[in-house]
Amino acid sequence: MRRLGFLWLKEWLALSRDVHGLAVLFLMPAAFIVIMSLALSDVATGDAGRGLEFAVLGSGEKAARLAQDIAGGGFRAAPAPANEAAARAAVSRGKPALVLLVPAGFQGIFEPSATGTAPTLRLLADPALPGPQLAAFQQRVLGAALGTPPEAMAQALDIEVVGNPRGRPSAVQQSVPAWLIFGMFFVVLPISSLFIVERRDGTLARLVSQRVPFSMLLLGKVGPFFLINLAQAGLMLLAGRLLVPWLGGEALEPPQRWDLLLAVTACTSLAAIGWGLLVAVCSRTLEQATVIGGVGNILAAALGGIMVPRFVMPETMQRWTELSPMAWALDGFHAVILRHGGAADIAASCAKLLALAAALLGAALWMHYRRRGRA
Amino acid sequence: MLKIEGLSFRYPGREQAVLDGISLEIPAGGIFGLLGPNGAGKTTLISVLAGQLRAAAGRIAAGDESLQGARERRPQCLGLVPQELAFYPMLTVLENLRFFGGVQGLGPARLRERVQAVTEFGRIESVLERRAGELSGGLKRRLNLAIGLLTEPDILLLDEPTVGVDPQSRAFLLESIRAIAGPGRIIVYTSHYMEEVQAICDHVAIIDAGRVLLSGTLGEVLGAELGADRDVVSLRLRVPGPEALARATEAARAAGCEPLGVDHGPRDLEQVFMQLTNRSLRD
Repeated sequence: MRRLGFLWLKEWLALSRDVHGLAVLFLMPAAFIVIMSLALSDVATGDAGRGLEFAVLGSGEKAARLAQDIAGGGFRAAPAPANEAAARAAVSRGKPALVLLVPAGFQGIFEPSATGTAPTLRLLADPALPGPQLAAFQQRVLGAALGTPPEAMAQALDIEVVGNPRGRPSAVQQSVPAWLIFGMFFVVLPISSLFIVERRDGTLARLVSQRVPFSMLLLGKVGPFFLINLAQAGLMLLAGRLLVPWLGGEALEPPQRWDLLLAVTACTSLAAIGWGLLVAVCSRTLEQATVIGGVGNILAAALGGIMVPRFVMPETMQRWTELSPMAWALDGFHAVILRHGGAADIAASCAKLLALAAALLGAALWMHYRRRGRA
Repeated sequence: MLKIEGLSFRYPGREQAVLDGISLEIPAGGIFGLLGPNGAGKTTLISVLAGQLRAAAGRIAAGDESLQGARERRPQCLGLVPQELAFYPMLTVLENLRFFGGVQGLGPARLRERVQAVTEFGRIESVLERRAGELSGGLKRRLNLAIGLLTEPDILLLDEPTVGVDPQSRAFLLESIRAIAGPGRIIVYTSHYMEEVQAICDHVAIIDAGRVLLSGTLGEVLGAELGADRDVVSLRLRVPGPEALARATEAARAAGCEPLGVDHGPRDLEQVFMQLTNRSLRD
């Protein structure tokens, strides 16, 4: 254990003197958290309809009344276009995004006109408009047309979302764990670069000749980088709690179970370190390690719902995210931060991450002994 | 004594053996020089002795037991000074010494004592707090050697320990290495510099293509009758001047002899080496 302590101390000293490497590990995820939390705030909260313009095209008092009743709840009435052709041209440009066409003689949805048929309302919609906003507008139109205030319609059905009040992560709930995971996996770069320099300079060979087991040399990397990952987690949570709201975003709510958060963080860290060790052993040069580690991380992040939130992906793509360890980690963090779950809710994520860490460490040892002609 | 018998090693995926049945006897109490051109197998042999590589065949005995057995019993009995500067440039000299001593299992008191001893031995006291990467070439080599001596090993493997240093540092290193040779200690020294080996080694082996070409005491090696010498006669003359040398050469030609070259002074190790390995430039 004392020998392992010396290995940890050496690694810690070497790391602490690599200011640029540490800056990347801490500043990069913090910057992503702030930028993405602010950038995604509207999409994630579903408030994108705030101030969305619509127009009602039709003659008569009923059309004017409809426009008045629909307005609100994130929708703002705009001046009506001159005619249907102008309305189509305007909607195709997205200004306004919605135009309700009210036929002549319209009295109500179920009330026949003079010709005996119920005139139909038509809605011209911008194709870029998200489905939920279209549905929300449709609800307001029906409420207004039926003479029921839309707010009253909303109150008629009491919806209770269990866990997260929104049902999906807010921008800060998505960004903090996502970019924290991304940053944690980036320990692959310092781990592999330190290891390759050790191999190149002969220090690794010297340590092996001093009968320091190779498995102990690898474990010597785990302790310091585990602490780095924990520090990353602490600072990124602080960024979500303090920095993001200070810059105008939403504050991250603290989890109810800190122990579970620590467990998920630890499992994610071990998987990230295992990945770093495998890249370190497999790569022959620093350039190789940078490419394999960096590109591997970016692909895992793109696939795992880090760069693009999983809830905006199509269903098929959401299934593919299961291939990325970053998605397993994100599930674990969301179970704690978002759904306030218990140990059972993080068990699957943690088990997968730990199994991956063990497999990666085993693969690194196997690769080493195979290259040394000792397998 | 370190006794090597029939040692073979081949890197995975390569057809040619790097070590091809090498047998050597390395006595204790002196310095054993291992000479060979690039690719001869010197560093591979050192790596096998140091336990970094496992030989495909052969055995290595240290005294009455196998080297592996001896190292399991006393892990600190072998020290390696690789040809690379095998320490951490971002750590200070003192941190490097403490780390390499600690990781080899030296207890706190013994570690302090040994760090002080090798610091004095390598004359690196004045740079203990400096980062190792900032030292001059000579100081780096001295630190490299000092780390190898931390555990006072009975078997010391020195793989080209003077590469890239100035003459003063080289002289200091050679003097230091000579000073640590003593009864019971086995020192294996590889170098490209023939004059170094000739200056400090008691025994020499010349290897090439993974085989031992010649082995023995320095005197035996220098006096060895080499196959290529059979039709070549060395005639030692005291020559009063260049004109006399020219006339002597002409007289030899007139007698039907072909003068091959003119050497001044006694035969040296480099001549033996070049004649044995038959090449002067290796890729």
